[in-house]
Amino acid sequence: MILSKLKEAIICLGAGRVTLPYPFAPHPPAEGFRGKVEVDSEKCIGCGGCANVCTPRCIVVTDPSQDTRVLEFFLERCTYCARCAEVCPEEAITVTEQFETATNDTQDMHIKAEVYMGSCQRCGRCFETSTALDKLMVTGFQGVPESGE
Amino acid sequence: MTTQQVIQEMREKFGEGLRAAEEPAPGALYLTVDKELIRPASRHLQDKLDARFVISAGIDRLATEGCLSVTHIFSRDKAKQFVCLRADVSENGAEVEAITPDVVAAGWSEREIQDLVGVKAKGHPDPRRLVLPDDWPEGVHPLRKDFPYDANPEPVEGAEVKFKEAPEGTSTVVVGPFYPVLEEPAQLRLFVDGERVVGCDYRGFYNHRGIEKLGDSVLTYNQIPFVAERICGICGFIHSSCYCEAAEQAAGVQAPRRARYIRSIMLEVERIHSHLLWLGIAGHILGFDTVLMQAWRIREPIMWLCEKITGSRKSFGMNLVGGVRWDISPDIHPEILDCIGQIEKESLAVVDAVQGDTTLLVRLKGVGILPEEDARSVCVVGPTARGSNVDIDARVDHPYAAYDELQTRAITNDGCDNWARVVVRLEELFESIRLVREGLKTMPDGPLMVEFAEEIPAGRQGVCTVEAPRGEAIHYLITGENNRPDRWRVRAPTYQNLQALPLMIKDETIADVPITLGSMDPCFSCTERVETVDVRTGRQAMLSKEDLLRLSQEKSER
Ligand code: SF4
Ligand code: SF4
Repeated sequence: MILSKLKEAIICLGAGRVTLPYPFAPHPPAEGFRGKVEVDSEKCIGCGGCANVCTPRCIVVTDPSQDTRVLEFFLERCTYCARCAEVCPEEAITVTEQFETATNDTQDMHIKAEVYMGSCQRCGRCFETSTALDKLMVTGFQGVPESGE
Repeated sequence: MTTQQVIQEMREKFGEGLRAAEEPAPGALYLTVDKELIRPASRHLQDKLDARFVISAGIDRLATEGCLSVTHIFSRDKAKQFVCLRADVSENGAEVEAITPDVVAAGWSEREIQDLVGVKAKGHPDPRRLVLPDDWPEGVHPLRKDFPYDANPEPVEGAEVKFKEAPEGTSTVVVGPFYPVLEEPAQLRLFVDGERVVGCDYRGFYNHRGIEKLGDSVLTYNQIPFVAERICGICGFIHSSCYCEAAEQAAGVQAPRRARYIRSIMLEVERIHSHLLWLGIAGHILGFDTVLMQAWRIREPIMWLCEKITGSRKSFGMNLVGGVRWDISPDIHPEILDCIGQIEKESLAVVDAVQGDTTLLVRLKGVGILPEEDARSVCVVGPTARGSNVDIDARVDHPYAAYDELQTRAITNDGCDNWARVVVRLEELFESIRLVREGLKTMPDGPLMVEFAEEIPAGRQGVCTVEAPRGEAIHYLITGENNRPDRWRVRAPTYQNLQALPLMIKDETIADVPITLGSMDPCFSCTERVETVDVRTGRQAMLSKEDLLRLSQEKSER
């Protein structure tokens, strides 16, 4: 019994003080940590892929006019899975290391990205971003014809 | 006994009553019987075919096949096989004979099906509500397909909670729903004679989150892993792995070898941190906070390691149907080995120190006895079972991930008391460390994700188990339309283990109840992953100050 109490005491003394001084000194997370996401509306083509995979549905896509598409991120619901960044074809979403997101104002956790779209000639709705359309023009995109054989 | 022999035997016994038998994937046998035969067939499986009851699932098939079904899932551990026994009933006569009188372990599952799918278990010894709040209207069953996932029916006024009668000559000590020790709500009503506990009644399911419902009405196949991971606040990775393996089985694909190794390694890492966490809590329950502080200090580096490997210390977000998202690159291997080496060294020192600590032993040895027989009949799982000498371990009995190659053994102890469960967990901790080393060494190269040629077709089934730190978790999946399952059934280990609590605390003193409960490492939020918001708590929160005042005045007037 005494021996075992002694051993326990040695473990405690050997461990010493392990409490970190955080938040008085910064404590950066490990590389690759998944924190708050950021969106670059210049790169976004409004495909909606991110909204499609987001499990808590915190990305909302709306078309307020014929040529604007708005992406809103309500990040107070974000689960930091980084799926949106993973599926984005244009790498418009980046995962930062920001984890200190506590706030009194939920607006701090909202991101709004406006994307200018070309509208469809037939239905008049948003069709494709002008940047992406330009890109298609430049490379002279054509559908590949079916091979006859 | 081979699959064919099992089918043969069931056919001889039940003749035409056995409607269908199929084995779409090795290790999962699906039998359909007439509803009249569900009880004898279950009994036969349990008594003659060495099958251990695992869980039941109620399924609404009204839209597709015009029936409701009840599927009881059994595990034939030594044959490495699940047997899923299904019976269909029509909507009007939604009733099957209860199997609980023969298969004691089905007690909760059958009550759950009554609540959520509305198939009555005729002749159930305790047919009270289990999951639904008492003021939930009669006849409204949330897992029916015509019940919207976000519906919130009007609560019934004046509904009464049905508690068990206290036996003659005993008084009732009410613990919970909120109480110290465990941070999750549950109500235990202990029937005591003096200081001795003679029985108890359990009322839980205050934490319903509607996860199964979300799975078949809102989420898609690849969103579910992220929700599954949040079923448990400690061992989330086991749930996402189990779901993914079940979905892969249903889809008829296998995750690549390397991905399966990564799953196994992370599962063992999770077991290491979970067992250390538990060791701390157990010390804390006994008022021995040194163990809490030191066990958690030893555990912390592995949490940081998880953050380094996966980008998050707890919700790894690693699993998708078909594989994993990130590699464990060789660069980080030395760091992992260092970390677990350190944990091994320090844990050994702690084990060495506490082993001779008589204050601890007095509280643990010979307390919370669960005899082997009872452990088998209630079908407890994990260290709770292995501490009662029941040698089941999903890694051995139903190898998943890479456990077909990373071989391990079921660590048992025949002490049947709280101490036996401690010893089992400590041995498992060191075994997990060995497995991580082994896994890192033998992990093959290759891709992390399989390519899906086409969408997962509807109507396929998959059942998979993963050995969580607390015991086996089961996920059963039926694929559906719209890129989501038709039914996703989850059973966490505590669901089965908690049903043994009345046996474990019988004849103990009240003071030993917390540690006995603690010895099974319960996780209530896992257990209660099922249905919609608890309307009762919602309403209570809206009581005005006047109401509260009036209530307490009335109370003190008596
Ligand atoms: S990180 Fe996950 S939860 Fe957060 S916005 Fe992206 S997809 Fe949604
Ligand atoms: S952020 Fe990326 S995924 Fe989301 S809409 Fe823009 S381009 Fe598509």
